[in-house]
Amino acid sequence: MTVNVTSVIEKLVGGQRSFESVGDSVKSLIENINEAYPGFSDQILEEGGELRRFVNIYLNDEDIRYLDGLNTELTDDDTVSILPALAGGE
Amino acid sequence: MAYIPNEILQAMVDHAKDDLPNEACGMILIGRSDRQMTVHRVTNTAASPYRYEMSPLEMMKLEQKRDSENLDLFAIYHSHVASAAYPSPTDVRMAFFPPGETDNEPMFPDTYYVLVSLENNKPDVRAFHIKKHGEISEESIESEN
Ligand SMILES: [Zn+2]
Repeated sequence: MTVNVTSVIEKLVGGQRSFESVGDSVKSLIENINEAYPGFSDQILEEGGELRRFVNIYLNDEDIRYLDGLNTELTDDDTVSILPALAGGE
Repeated sequence: MAYIPNEILQAMVDHAKDDLPNEACGMILIGRSDRQMTVHRVTNTAASPYRYEMSPLEMMKLEQKRDSENLDLFAIYHSHVASAAYPSPTDVRMAFFPPGETDNEPMFPDTYYVLVSLENNKPDVRAFHIKKHGEISEESIESEN
């Protein structure tokens, strides 16, 4: 499947904005990316294994928080986007 | 010094007013060769007067547009509806990944953070760089050619 990333997350995967990877769930996809780019999952997941609050993962155009979270199932035809939050306040 | 034409400043102020009572946010892209600037409104998914969170998917589409049209990210802007045009502690914290890890390089070291304040009758627009260790450096805005 195609994985899209932006800005800082791009730096974690060797500076590419889009690449191919595999996994039958978001969790296994992150594990596979981490095999290729050690340290990747530490930046994406909390120590307890949950998705960090300021990282957003989309399956096609849907936020996985509204699907089945890290257990969301994936197929090879999917596009997964892993994007940092750009946020602030008053 | 940040050169930002008047119509670009005005477009950000208009956006800030349109999104009241909430904070507005967006990006200014600039052509790598023609230095032409364009303002791109991004949905504030937090929809709040106190904070903003740029729609990650819209941001990604803008990054793809940058690649395909040879543009740079010139500025990230947002509004403060009732406080000064100065980066808040949250703004500084969130300029780093993970947030608050100010010993890392900031996410966008070369990009201006532009703040639009609607605190007073006359809107105030100011530009900053947010640097390593959370240092804020103001860049004066110049609008004349
Ligand atoms: Zn702010």
